[in-house]
Amino acid sequence: MPSTIEILQSLVNGVGVGLIYGLVGIGFCVIYNASGIVNFAQGVFVMLGGMFCQVLMSQLGLPIILAIAITVPLVALAGMAMELAIVRPMLHRGATLFAIILATLAAQIMIERITLLGFGDRPRTFPDFTPGGPLRVGEVAVGYQLFWILGCGALLVVALWLFFNRTRTGRALRACSQNREAAQLLGIPVARMMLVAFALSAGLGAIAGVLVTPTQYTAYNVGTPFGVSGFIAAIIGGFGRAGGALAGGLLLGVLQALAIVALGAGFKNVAALSVLLVVLMLFPNGLFAGFSLGARVHSK
Amino acid sequence: MNTLRLLTAAVTVITALSSQAGAAEPVKIGSSLGLTGYAAMVDRAWRDGLEVAAEVLNEQGGLLGRKIEVLVEDNHSLPQDAVVGYRKLISSDQVDLFNSGCVSAGNFAAAAFVMQAKRPMYLCSILTKRDQEQAWAFSFLAPPRFEMESRYRYLKERTNIRKIGLLHDPTPYALLMKGIGEELAKSFGLEVVSVESYKPDDSDMTVQLGRINAAGGGAIVKIGQGGSTVTAAKNIRQLGLDKMLLLASNDDGAVFLEAGKVLGERLLYVAPPVQLPKQLQPGPTKDAVDAFLTHWNRKYPDRDPTTGARAWDSMMVLAKAAEIAKSVDGTALRDATEKVPPYQGAYAAFNFSRDQHVGITENPFLIGTVVDNELVIAK
Repeated sequence: MPSTIEILQSLVNGVGVGLIYGLVGIGFCVIYNASGIVNFAQGVFVMLGGMFCQVLMSQLGLPIILAIAITVPLVALAGMAMELAIVRPMLHRGATLFAIILATLAAQIMIERITLLGFGDRPRTFPDFTPGGPLRVGEVAVGYQLFWILGCGALLVVALWLFFNRTRTGRALRACSQNREAAQLLGIPVARMMLVAFALSAGLGAIAGVLVTPTQYTAYNVGTPFGVSGFIAAIIGGFGRAGGALAGGLLLGVLQALAIVALGAGFKNVAALSVLLVVLMLFPNGLFAGFSLGARVHSK
Repeated sequence: MNTLRLLTAAVTVITALSSQAGAAEPVKIGSSLGLTGYAAMVDRAWRDGLEVAAEVLNEQGGLLGRKIEVLVEDNHSLPQDAVVGYRKLISSDQVDLFNSGCVSAGNFAAAAFVMQAKRPMYLCSILTKRDQEQAWAFSFLAPPRFEMESRYRYLKERTNIRKIGLLHDPTPYALLMKGIGEELAKSFGLEVVSVESYKPDDSDMTVQLGRINAAGGGAIVKIGQGGSTVTAAKNIRQLGLDKMLLLASNDDGAVFLEAGKVLGERLLYVAPPVQLPKQLQPGPTKDAVDAFLTHWNRKYPDRDPTTGARAWDSMMVLAKAAEIAKSVDGTALRDATEKVPPYQGAYAAFNFSRDQHVGITENPFLIGTVVDNELVIAK
């Protein structure tokens, strides 16, 4: 039987990892809303964030703030390049969404291989933003980096809310998500909005990568697990709902941590995917879209 | 009559040329490697070690006058992809033998049909469990017992820690080592108070580490390779476990340097002599290490030599087997490998025989740590 301390400690760590999943999940939502595309390369933005930042710090000796300030726009540019080089040409040629989604998966593999060739296969990491720690709350240890993850996560949520509700570009993106054709008829440059969506999504992934790397490591192949977990988070929250994806990520992170406590690490994903299955059965549109009485709908 | 002579001469010349071409056929060595996926770091180093050895052997005339060609198939660290790669190497590339990487599950999965094809398998991984398949396989991996014994001996002789936790990944090799670890602990006066598992791509292991700490473990014996050692080191610090030791499996030096930045001398790891060359005493081991490093460092000055050294040794054993067999025919090579006399390699000494297909029979390991960003022998 796990102790209370064990459960509390796992909750603390689950929240930290879950927030990262949530940020990746929001990235999925931003692109999906603007284009209807599920970008399976989302995880590589997390990897690129950690990788670029580490390289800038270790190779060029840049301070972490400057390294982050360069990394996030760099990864956002990589996202824009993906939209311009892969997604847009395919859309112009009338490719189906399935084909484009598959192309994003191929892009992920390609970016991983390029990273492998460019930066090698060794794991890299950099120190916590604030040295020292952890903070002890009773017997529960809270690493300083967790506060950075929580703080930056909260700031990003507010910033995203402001962006989507108070800026013309954000409102234009929301219009695209509701009805792309109507948005185009109203003069919104839908193609440009897609570019913005990819940049924003990649930037969010980069921030997630920068935040999480001090707690673990980065390497060319770390993106996939984050991508998968972010995708699950987005589905739990109701695909396309940024707030839902964040909450879904937190739920997933906590569930995974509790599953390790209760069942062992081998059952972490079994537990997470079981939850996903239940969520999809009871709430086909995600937890935050309301309970679906599917049987009643069919009987009408 | 002249036409007949001319034809005869032409046939003779063509036959001679074609037999020469036959002699120039390279010896094809197939290698199933996890160039991507969890085994990438080790298997890429294995490939590089094979290639350095092949270049050196080719400069010396190759195997029995035939150039060596290493054909690599990426198995993505997945057994099912390894099977596809092995089949391709046998049927399309018609390799003469295999010298494959550390994805043990992949090598296990392919062993049956490699045996049927009568191709010897030199392996970075452990041997399969079936006797018939073992007859065709030769392991260049140290028995898992050695890694555990080295770490346990260090804990017993150099520390006061008597309660430990095992943290292992789910690979066959790690599971084997975990079983041995549980079995051996008592004979070193140690008690395994907790056994925890992790997945190589886990981004957080604090739950498992916290459990080992709560059970009274003073040291974590980690069984498994790759970046997860860095994650474990970071998690130990995040939990504020200021006295906890982390004893890692043998791995690439880059992993130890990163983990060492976090834990310093509380990071201990199993290291063959080639990984700590500056502190070696003169003798046969140092000579073998230097012979390898001369070639390795020329090509990869910034790369850890550990796994590459093992691959190098496997090729040197192959060269000796080919000399004994005077052939690269599968059966002849297999039989000759069993007859190779004891060989002091850069990684370890190898003693293959008819009944001994795990070449490393003496524990070669030292315990290393990280001081001032350098890998050194632990005091």
